[in-house]
Amino acid sequence: MFDLAFSNLHEILDMNGHGIYVWSVYALGISMIVISFSIAKKRESLAYKKK
Amino acid sequence: MVRLIKSEIFKLLKKLKSWLGPLLIMILVLIAFPLSIDISQFDLDKFYFSIIVVSILMTSFVATEGMFEEDFEDGSLEQEFLLEKDFYKLALAKIFVFVFLIGIPLALIGAIFSFANGVAFNSFAKVFLILSLSNLLLFNVFAFGNALSINKGAMLGVLSSLPLALPVIILLGSSIRTIQYGDGFISIIALMIGIGLLMSALMPLIISAALKTHID
Amino acid sequence: MISAFIHKFSSPKSYVRLTEKLYPFFIVLGVSLLTLGWIWGLLFAPQDAVQGNSYRIIFLHVPSVIFAELIYFFMAICALMHLVWRVKLAAYLIKAAAPIGAMITFLGLFSGSIWGIPTWGTWWQWDARITSTLILFIMYLGVITLHGSFSNLIKADRLMSILVIIGVINIPIIKKSVDWWSTLHQPASISISGGSSIDPSMLYPLLISIIGLGFTLISLGILSSRSYIFTREKNKKWIAEHV
Repeated sequence: MFDLAFSNLHEILDMNGHGIYVWSVYALGISMIVISFSIAKKRESLAYKKK
Repeated sequence: MVRLIKSEIFKLLKKLKSWLGPLLIMILVLIAFPLSIDISQFDLDKFYFSIIVVSILMTSFVATEGMFEEDFEDGSLEQEFLLEKDFYKLALAKIFVFVFLIGIPLALIGAIFSFANGVAFNSFAKVFLILSLSNLLLFNVFAFGNALSINKGAMLGVLSSLPLALPVIILLGSSIRTIQYGDGFISIIALMIGIGLLMSALMPLIISAALKTHID
Repeated sequence: MISAFIHKFSSPKSYVRLTEKLYPFFIVLGVSLLTLGWIWGLLFAPQDAVQGNSYRIIFLHVPSVIFAELIYFFMAICALMHLVWRVKLAAYLIKAAAPIGAMITFLGLFSGSIWGIPTWGTWWQWDARITSTLILFIMYLGVITLHGSFSNLIKADRLMSILVIIGVINIPIIKKSVDWWSTLHQPASISISGGSSIDPSMLYPLLISIIGLGFTLISLGILSSRSYIFTREKNKKWIAEHV
């Protein structure tokens, strides 16, 4: 269960031709979550400053 | 209640564009579509119902736009609230009048056009019944959207009511299929009548809550 | 008694104090579990026999869709509390949760579309579940737009709550749509009552991803709601004392 499913970095990125689909989804997902946190943090600090 | 229905009929008939406009739009779309597409009658028969369904959706929305806006702007809503203490009867009366004066004619137009496009004569009544019931459901949904947005424009009304209207359209699509394939019509009609009665009873309550919020 | 209980624990002041203590715990747990789930799923879970490596999108897609529905359900409970017990905090939580719900629904739709290309040969299909999720996304937009249209925020809170409660009937339609209509979309792979149809080597990272995303979204919700509470309650004495 804990053996790496790929043997090198190229295989990880390529994923037998499906890499573009998988990595584009995760890239968008991670960026959306990170951006949401940044916006929320900024709003909170702005709300603090207004006091 | 009779007083409300009479006044709503009078108001609607006075504004010609409010009740005639949607009917003319429906006729225009149903005539324009076959003219704008170069396909055989056989192919047109296959998806003409979908055009009728989408036209019903659009015209129902156009017909109910600004349903409560005029009353809100001229203070009639507040007066009604002082008289009745809630808006249940007003909402019920408005929806009833709109369905009767606009929804039923729309259903008739849709049924006539479906008849003219391949529906057998003995299915005409079935199509008319289904379209009438779907208008009842759609008018309830769009009345709710209008009660929420009241004078904030059509876009807000659409966003508020479209998610509730689309399941009605999916149901309508299923019901049209029962006519095309002749199977399960009674059960679909029973379902639509049940949902229609439930909505007609509950939606005015929800509309009343929304309208009360506007005048608070 | 219920009313007294609700009003004791649902003041914005108590909420801010409680979440200040909980937030670090949730964010660390969420990000750790999510990272663990995704690394396990992306790098260690075996390739699927039919779908190859494209199935690995499941570790983002399924948690997104689950929380897309759950967030709306949470909003509906808050809407009920706001309308019935006049809990202000509930309205603030709906306002904070709606953009998060919209974002995660969009992510679910996007990941599903991308997954559809190698699996079904199409990025979109008007089948019941996908269409229902699109409708859910529109509902989130409707809630956000409705609240933003009114300058009177108290009125906006009440109208938003009414809309959320009415929209919640769409959630069971989404849940059951795969069973009610014949559809391209596969049936649920995991269920609360029954077992699972996927292998444990894929199931465990999926479950960890679901829990991790849950805690991450809760942390995001806490951040958003706190800033909104500070804005709405800015004239209250407890805000000045807190800051």
